This record gives sequence, structure tokens and C-alpha cells, in this order.
Amino acid sequence: MQQVTRKKLAEGVHLTYVTTPKFKRAVVRVALLLPLGGPDAALRACLPHVLRRGTKRLPDLRAIGEALDDLYGARIEAIVRREGEHLAVGFLSDCIDESCAPGADGLTAGVIRLLAELLCDPYTQEGVFCPDYTAGERENLIDRIAAQKNDPRVWAPLRLTQLMCADEAYGQPVHGTKEQAEKVTERKLYAAYQRALDEAQLELFYCGPLAPDTVEGLFMDTPLAQPRPKALPLPPAVVLAQPKGTAREVVEEEPVTQGKLSLGFRTGGASLTGGDAAAYWVFQTLYGGSTSSKLFLHVREQKSLCYYASAQFIAPKGIMMVNSGIENRDFAAARDEILRQLDECREGHIGDDEMDAARKALATNWGAMLDDPLTLERYWLGQAAAGTMVAPEERIAQAGAVSRERVVAAAQATTLDMVYFMKGAAG
Amino acid sequence: MSKVWTALRERMEERTLDNGLRVCYLPKEGFGKTFAILAANFGSVDASFTIDGQRHETPAGVAHFLEHKMFEDEDGNALQKFARTGASPNAFTSHTMTAYHFSCTERFEENLEILLKFVFTPYFTEENVAKERGIIGQEIGMMDDTPGWQVFCGLLGGLYRNHPVRVPIAGSVDSIAQITPEVLYTCHRAFYSPKNMVLVVCGTADFDEVCRMAAQFSPAEAAEIGERHYGSRREAVSELTVTRRMPVSRPQFLLGFKDVPCAPGESHLRRGLLGELSLRILCGDTSPLYAELYAKRLIGRDFDTDYMIFPEGAAAVLGGESRDPEAAREAIEREVARLAREGVGQALFGRMKKALYGLRLRVFDVPEAYARQQATALFAGEDYADFAALFDTIGADDVQAVYARWAQRDRSCMSAVLPQ
Repeated sequence: MQQVTRKKLAEGVHLTYVTTPKFKRAVVRVALLLPLGGPDAALRACLPHVLRRGTKRLPDLRAIGEALDDLYGARIEAIVRREGEHLAVGFLSDCIDESCAPGADGLTAGVIRLLAELLCDPYTQEGVFCPDYTAGERENLIDRIAAQKNDPRVWAPLRLTQLMCADEAYGQPVHGTKEQAEKVTERKLYAAYQRALDEAQLELFYCGPLAPDTVEGLFMDTPLAQPRPKALPLPPAVVLAQPKGTAREVVEEEPVTQGKLSLGFRTGGASLTGGDAAAYWVFQTLYGGSTSSKLFLHVREQKSLCYYASAQFIAPKGIMMVNSGIENRDFAAARDEILRQLDECREGHIGDDEMDAARKALATNWGAMLDDPLTLERYWLGQAAAGTMVAPEERIAQAGAVSRERVVAAAQATTLDMVYFMKGAAG
Repeated sequence: MSKVWTALRERMEERTLDNGLRVCYLPKEGFGKTFAILAANFGSVDASFTIDGQRHETPAGVAHFLEHKMFEDEDGNALQKFARTGASPNAFTSHTMTAYHFSCTERFEENLEILLKFVFTPYFTEENVAKERGIIGQEIGMMDDTPGWQVFCGLLGGLYRNHPVRVPIAGSVDSIAQITPEVLYTCHRAFYSPKNMVLVVCGTADFDEVCRMAAQFSPAEAAEIGERHYGSRREAVSELTVTRRMPVSRPQFLLGFKDVPCAPGESHLRRGLLGELSLRILCGDTSPLYAELYAKRLIGRDFDTDYMIFPEGAAAVLGGESRDPEAAREAIEREVARLAREGVGQALFGRMKKALYGLRLRVFDVPEAYARQQATALFAGEDYADFAALFDTIGADDVQAVYARWAQRDRSCMSAVLPQ
């Protein structure tokens, strides 16, 4: 088992660290966990981008760029992420391990200090954020909100979740709305920043070769380890076992050539923290999670109804999605075939080879995760946001023990909630 | 042959089999996953070739079509065989390479056998080729709707008048309609010869066993490789600007500088480093110009740079979203001219080199990326990990010479996708 430790550094501050000598780089993340949606949504989405523009010591991008080059090309990216029904905002960094280059001693400490500066010691003018930076990032945010529609393959599943979970936190836009974004000012943003610092749980992460005590010491030396007595506890995600009514169908036209078909399902309660998640993963994988899945073999290979069709289990929220790219004329045929394959699972038409392939695919995917520090970062933040601590190795073992009966039960508990068809209306 | 890079903490085993197949093993201690890639030095640009005295002009998209079809064998689909072992297989076709790969956490040798067998065993029928046209047609349709891909294809079309790199990798619905089993067999014979291929394994494996299996499951004799034709060259770009309208919320652009092709005997690895370093100093995300253009919202965080090398060509590419692509282009070209004239200061040069070293080093942590880089390097007769030593041969004057080439008249093209 990979050595993973989670420790409370102070009230409202937790550090998760994965200690391993096998990488030549270290990954460090600092993130504030907040509720998704609400009136501060756009302000929060804007926040890490404005913070990334300058600190008291390094007041602009040029100065930050120089500092990063000197840290052997360390990278620091602002993150604004949905984690179940929470929002994570902060910074993700990767840098080379200090043993890999001459004169790189203290590099990790330098990165952690810079991350702390970015979050806790921003460049300000007259007690608020710099108006120029705020204006620029407000416009960037407005662009980012509009750009969500640029790639139909990304937009269709996003639109499905917005429509299907419209009354739930999960359906709220991560970046807020255009109207909210337009109202961002340096004063409002600074106030939202202070509220976020007060209310958020701070999640710190390190993956790399340094010993746990050393890593802890590096964080303890920064303001990141200050107690946060007003931090709010994270409410668990609301999982609807069944849709509220009968399945809905929504068709929207977009000026693209190829149609996109997305189907949203409720899992009967299977999620990161409830129901039979292990069985659900096996079910989702054999239904549409790999190149040996029913959707790949029947909808794509045998019937050529689409270029891709895959199923995704969004465990933090307890929903499943099927996404596919189709010709407009194949809409009904593709939808019916996708649902027919679900019926096949419900009726128990699942071969031993399919069970075996799904378990193995999951073992490969989760096993491979242990070799990728950036994927591990994402995985452990998901666990932290859901309030659990299940290692990938445990998930592999759980999936290995899932019987066909449990998979059939998972399929039977699955209910269609919404069909979303983005109809190609170009040419 | 064994090679060790002590400072990088990397080592490698390499052997050329009797049939010419080069086999390379990059051990990764502590990694649970092993990645293997079997690559042919055959990409979308190799559409025109002569073999057995006969010239072939193949339809656009044939290398990619072949990649799709290789998975099918007489006794079933290789994907399904991999499914039984739990491996994660895939393949890609680039301008210069077709590669088949898998990663697995167990049963490595079983997977390697599947990989070697299907790549060296062509099986095409009228029926399975006709069916594939539908699937690839869908893929082409999807790419038609992808602005980032369209802006890239537009750029290559603008930089080159004749070079086949200007043709989209997957071809078009019309061009793939002309692909027959016979065309696919011809391409396989011309380019899937063991001496035109490399096998790179990154992770945990027994190198001798890998070589033994590679010898057992690849043809004993290496067929002659097709002689390739890339048309005539000229230094100037074909078009200065290429624009297209699509349903995007903001303009996207790519600016390309047409560079001179690698000379015979020139190190591709060194050229790549020099190109990347020049781009990083010019407008990498920690450069002074980047900070300036970002503040003016002429570029955003998605702005990226790349240096491409292919037969008889090389190009530097930069771009992303912009509120005003023309203004971004003007500023970048002005900076190229200034750097060509004034050169790069030592402090800036030193820190950019240090940063690029760190970025390159990180590739060793990603088996997929490292193996792919090594396969590319092997086709040029090099090893990826030698980059660290090559760094020492690059000086500020080398970078200035690069800018001098880019700053010449008619060497740049801008491709833009604008909102409808």
C-alpha cells in the first residue's frame, strides 16, 4: 500500500500526504473547500485567478514568472473545481524533486512558501484587490463562462447535469453565471475573499519523496497552518436514489455538425459514501466504461451508431451519465440501443468474461493512479470533500469481490432521469 | 547495450534484433504500471511512396485508417483480447508516427504477445473496411466541430503549399471513401517492416524476455521500406493568414513560424530543445512578453507553445484564445524581430534554461510520455535522456540565430477561428 497520511494541522486545516520516492517531481496543492453555488459563486471562481496575478512580494506576473523559473520551472495553476457538491478553489503546483538537479536544495520549501503567499498575502491597493487585475480576471471569467459551449463534447454532459440537477447544488454552475460575473468588483471580491478564508476548510496535499515530518514542518512555517476557528463543516452531498418524476427528454439545437446525446441516471443511492459503490463501479465499467463494455461493443462497434459512447459513474453525487457522439438521424436508435443494453444488464445477461474484464479494467485504472501524482491529488481531494479515506488499493480489492448478483442489483436500481440531445444544426 | 544517466537517475537497455526491430527498455522502479508502445515510422505525411519500383499516391487519411483496422484479426478484435487481461490499450496516428500501446498492472507478457501479434498481422476485408469508413467518418465529423483542431489544420495549410503535413491526419469523408483493403496491405508492407519500427517498454519487465518475444512475434525478415516523397520545398509560407468562422465564443489563433528542416545528421533532440527554449524565452508563460500580453488580455492561461519537427520541415507554433489575434501576432512578431536584433540577456537565458530542464525532467515520471518521446528519439537515432547533455551545447547566440530565421519576411502564418 502506498503510504498515505492525513493529519489535522490546525482547526479547519488538513494535510494529506503521499510519501513515495519513485517520482522525480512533487505535487503540492492548497485549496479552500466551499459550498457550490450561491451568491458568491462568480466571485469565488474569479478569486484564485486574481490571487495568481501578484503577491505583496511579487506584485505582477513577470515577478512570479521569474520566481517559478528559479524554482526549476515549477508550475502553479489556479484551480476552480467541482468536488461533489463542494467547490474547491486554490492552487495546484508541481515541481521537480530537489534531489534531481544541482543547487535545487530547498526547492519544495520555496514552492510551499510561494503558494502560501499567493493565498494569504495578495497584492492589494488601498486595502482591496488591484482594480486592473480584477477587471482583467472578471472579463476572463465572463469569457470562460461563454467558452463552456465551445467544445460540444464537453458542453453536452455539463448541460445535462445543469438540467437534471437544476434543483440541487450539483447542478449549479461552477463559475457562476454571466450576470454574477459582470458584477465582480475589487471591493466585492476582497470581501468574498475574506469570507472564503474565514468559512472554508483548507485542504493541503503533498505527494513526493520528502518525509512526512519534513513536509508538515514546511507547511507549519507558513500562514497556511493558522487555525481557522470559523471554518464551516462540509455538509454531505445530497444523493437522490430515484428521479423526482418520470424521465424527461430535452432537445436543444446548436450550430455544430455532429449531434451529442447524453443520458443521466440516478443510481439507487450508490455513491462515494452510500449504497453498494463497489458493485456500481463494476456495473458502470461493463456497461460502458471500457472497450470491452456493452456500449462500446454494441452501440459503437456492431451498430456503428456513434463514434464514442461511454458511461461514467459520478460517485461523489450518486449519478451515472452516458455520453455519445451521433449523427442527428440516429438519435432515437442510439438512445434506444443505449437503454436496451442497460436492460440486458438488469436482466442478468452478463457473461463471466464481462465480469472479469470489468474487474480487471478497474484494477488497472486504479492501479495506474498510484503512478500519477496529479491523479492522486485529484483522488484524495475527492475523498476529503466527501469525508472518506478509502485508498485506491482498497477499491481494487472491493471491486474484486463483487458478484454478478450485486452488479445486476446495481443495474436494477438504476433509473433514467433525463435524456439530453444536442442536435447538430450546422450544414 | 546499457546506458546510464547518473545525474538523472535513469537507465536503459537497448537492442536491435536480427530483423532490424529496435527494442528499448526504460525501467521505472516502484511503478506498478508498465507501458509498452510499438511504433512505426509511418505517419500521415507518408502518403506518397515508391516500393518495388512502383509509385503509390495513397488517399489522405490512410495511415490513420490503417491504425483503426490493425486491431482486427482473423480470430477477433485485439481490444477484446486485451479486455481479458485487464490491460488498457490504445493507438494514435500523428503526422510522423503510428503507434499502438497498452498499459497494464499485471500479465505484461501476455499483453505484449497480443500487441506484437496484431500489429504484425494485417487482416483487411471489403466488409470490415467498409464498416470502418462509417466510424472514421464520425470521427472526422467530430474533429470538424473542434475549433482547436481546425485552427491547427488551418495553420499547417497556411505554412505549407505542397508538404503533406498540410493534409488533416484523418483525411476527409471523400478521401477515405477511396481506401480499399489493397491500399491498406500495400501501406502495411511498405512501412510495418521491423526495421522501420521500435518497441519501447517503460515500467517493470524482463528485457531479455521482451527481446525474445519481439523476435518470436515479428517477421524474421525485414521487408524493404517504401521510399517517401514529400513534394517540393520553399522557404516562404503559403498564406500569411488563414481564417475560418465557427460557433466559438472568442477568437482562437495559432501563429506559426516556418523554420528550416533539420539538416542531414543534425540532432533532432537538440533542435527540439533549441526550438522549445526559443519559444519559452519569446512568449512562454513566465516570459516578460507573456506577462504583458496577458495583462492586455491578448492571450490567456490557455496560451501554449510547441515546436514541431517532421521530414523536410520544422515549425514553431504559439497560440490560444485572444480578444484580438492580429494584435497578439503583431506584438509577438515585434518581439521576434527585437530578439533577432538584440539577442537574449544572460540572466533571462539562464533562468529559462533552468526552467526548461525542470519541465523536461518531469517527462521521466510519465511512462506514456517518456516512452513516446523515446520512440520519437529512436527514429532519429537518439535517446531522449541525452537532452540533459545537449543542453550544455546550447548558448544564447544559438537562440538568437533561431529568431533571425523566424524574423525573415514571409516566414509566419496566423490561423484564426473567429466567432460566427
